[in-house]
Amino acid sequence: MHVPDGYVSPQTCVIALAATVPFWVVATRKVSDVVKTKDVPLLAMFSALVFLIMMFNIPLPGGTSAHAVGAVVVAVVLGPWSAVIAVSVALVLQALVFGDGGVLAFGVNALNLAVIMPFVGFGVYRLVAGGSPLDSRRRLVAAGVAGYVGITVAGLSTAVFLGVQPALHHSADGTPLYSPYTLAQTIPAMAVPHLTFAGAAEAVLTAAVLAYLVRAAPGRLAGTHPLPTGAASRAASRPRVRPVTVAAGFVVAMVALCPLGLLAPGGAFAEEAPADLDLASHGLQAVPVGMDRFAGFWSHTLIDDYGFGEGQSPVLGYWVSALLGVAVVGVVVYLLARAVQAVTARGRAVSDAV
Amino acid sequence: MPSECAVRGPDAVTVPGWLVADEPNLPAYEPNGQRRRRGFLEATADQSAQVLRQVVVADETAARRGLLQRLDPRGAAVAMVAVLVVLALVHHVVVLLAAWALVLGLALASHVPLRQTSRAWVLVPVFAAFVAAPATLSVVRAGDVVVTLWTWHGTGHGLTSQGLTAAALLVTRAGCSVSVVLTITATTSWNRLFAALGSLGVPRVFCMVLSMAHRYLVLVTGVVADMVTSRQVRTVAGVRHDRTGRAVLGASVGALVGKSHLMADEVHQAMVARGYRGHTRTLQTFRFGLADLVAVLVLVATLGGLLVWDGALG
Repeated sequence: MHVPDGYVSPQTCVIALAATVPFWVVATRKVSDVVKTKDVPLLAMFSALVFLIMMFNIPLPGGTSAHAVGAVVVAVVLGPWSAVIAVSVALVLQALVFGDGGVLAFGVNALNLAVIMPFVGFGVYRLVAGGSPLDSRRRLVAAGVAGYVGITVAGLSTAVFLGVQPALHHSADGTPLYSPYTLAQTIPAMAVPHLTFAGAAEAVLTAAVLAYLVRAAPGRLAGTHPLPTGAASRAASRPRVRPVTVAAGFVVAMVALCPLGLLAPGGAFAEEAPADLDLASHGLQAVPVGMDRFAGFWSHTLIDDYGFGEGQSPVLGYWVSALLGVAVVGVVVYLLARAVQAVTARGRAVSDAV
Repeated sequence: MPSECAVRGPDAVTVPGWLVADEPNLPAYEPNGQRRRRGFLEATADQSAQVLRQVVVADETAARRGLLQRLDPRGAAVAMVAVLVVLALVHHVVVLLAAWALVLGLALASHVPLRQTSRAWVLVPVFAAFVAAPATLSVVRAGDVVVTLWTWHGTGHGLTSQGLTAAALLVTRAGCSVSVVLTITATTSWNRLFAALGSLGVPRVFCMVLSMAHRYLVLVTGVVADMVTSRQVRTVAGVRHDRTGRAVLGASVGALVGKSHLMADEVHQAMVARGYRGHTRTLQTFRFGLADLVAVLVLVATLGGLLVWDGALG
C-alpha cells in the first residue's frame, strides 16, 4: 500500500503533502500539550514499533499470512494524534532505509496511512465500543472492526490517488505518464485484497494486541481509555458525540466516496428531462402526462443546471454548486443530529427521573 | 562534534561478511529428521535480521571515503529531492535510462555495495513491471495495438504502444527514483542526514524523534529477534498456523508495546535527569565547501540538461 516514487505526479504529491501538513502541526501541538517532555522518547519508541509491526507476518485462516500497518493499534493505545506522528516517522524510515514507499510520494503515504487510517480506525473503535467496559468482548470486536475499516479506507484512498493519474496526466496519444490504471481499475484492485487479506491481518493484529494489553497491562491503555474496568464502567456516562462532529464526519465520508460515482455506468437514475428519455427502453410510446406536466413545475432554482444564469464561468459555477451542496447537506445533517440528541437527552432524563 | 569526524578511512570500519550475509532463518528439525514447515515466526525472524543487516550496511557505507560521502548532508538532502522532482517531470524512457545510468555510476564511485542493497534496487523495478504488465494489454487499456496476441470478433487484441510506453516509464522512473534515495542514504550517515533536515527547516523535535526512532529501531528489532527466537526454541511441535498462532502474535506485539512503553519511560527519565526540558539542540555543524559548490553546479547543469533533452521545459 506504500506508493513508491514514480506512480503519482509531483502535483499530486504536493497536494497530498499540503493536506497532511496541518495534521502534523496540530498533532505536534496536541501531543506536546498532553505529554510535555515525554513525547520525544515515547513517539520515537512507537515509531520504531510501527516500523516493526509492519514487519510481523500475521497468520490468517487458509494458511496464508499478511502484513499489517499498525496505525490503528497505536491510535487505540496512544490516541490518533500520536499515531499521526509515530506512523509518519515510521514511513520516513521505511522510505529512507528500505526504499519502501517514495520520498516524493511521502505526502501521499502519510495522508493515507498516518492520517486517514488512524483517524478512521479510532473513530470506528469509539463508535463500536461505545461506553463498554475495557475488558468486554465488545471492545475487542470494536478493535478488530476498527483495524479492518481503517486499512480498507486507507487502501481505497490510495486507489483514488492512483486512479486519477491517467485522467490528469497523459500525453497527446493517450499514454499515461504515471500510474496507468483508471479509478474503475484501481478501486477493485485495492478493495479486493484489503477487504480480504490486509483487512483481516489488521483486524487480527488490532484485536489481539488490545486483548493482550487488557489482560496483561491495562495501565498502558489509560491515556485513551479513561473508564475503569468491570461493572463500574457500565454506569459511567455515555459517550457524547457532538452534532458538528457527526455532520463533519458525514460530509467527509460523502466527499471521499464521490469518486465511486465515476465508476457507475450510465447516467444518474431519474435525472433525464422528459425530452431526453429513451422511451423504447422503458416500453413507453409517449412521455407520461404527469411527468410532462410537473417536469418544469419548479424553475426558481438558485444555480440552475449547476451554473450561473448566463452560462458564464462554467467551471466556477460547478465548483460553487458543489460547495453549496456540501454545505447544505452538512447543515441538514447537523440539524438532524441536534434533534436526535435533544430527543435522546429528554428520554434519558425521563428514565433517570423514574 | 564536527561532522567530518563521521568520515573515516576506508579500512576504519569493516563489517565481517558473515554478519551481512543473507542467511534465511530455517525452522528447527522435527523428531523424524525433517525440517518443520516454514511458518510466520521464521518469516518474521528473517525480516528482523534484514532490518539489522540493512542498518549495519548503511552505517558502514556512509563511513567509507567515496565521492558522495564528501558532500554536505544538507546539499545531499536537497539534491535528492531535486533529482526526484526532475525524474517525475521527465516523460521519455531514454532520458530516464540515462539518468539511471548516472545514478548507478555515482553509487559505484561512492563504493555503495550494490549486491548487499540489491533487494531494493531490483525489487522495486521488478514490482513496478509486475504492476504495469496488465496495462500493456489492449483489453485493459485501449490503445494502438502493435503486437497482436489474439483476435476477438474480428478485432485484434494484444500489446499497445501506449501501454508499453507507460509500463516502461513506470519501471524506469520507479527504479531510478529508489536508486537515488538508496544512494544518498547509503552515503550519508543517519545522524548527519537527520541533523541536516533540521537545518533545512524541518522542526527539530521531529528530527529528534526521527533520529531516536532510528536508534530504537535497532534496539527493538533486537527485542523482536529475541522474542521470536525464544518462542521457536521453546516450541516442541511448532506454532500452528491457526488461532493459536494469532494468539502468539497478538501476545508478542502486545508485549512489545508494553516493553516499548517501559523503555520510553526509562529513556525519558534519563533525559530529564540529564537536563532535558523539551528543547532540542544539535552539535552537528556543517560547512558548505568548494566541493559542495562544484557538486551543486554539476547537479544543476545535469538536471537542466535532462529536462532540456526531455523537452519538459517546453
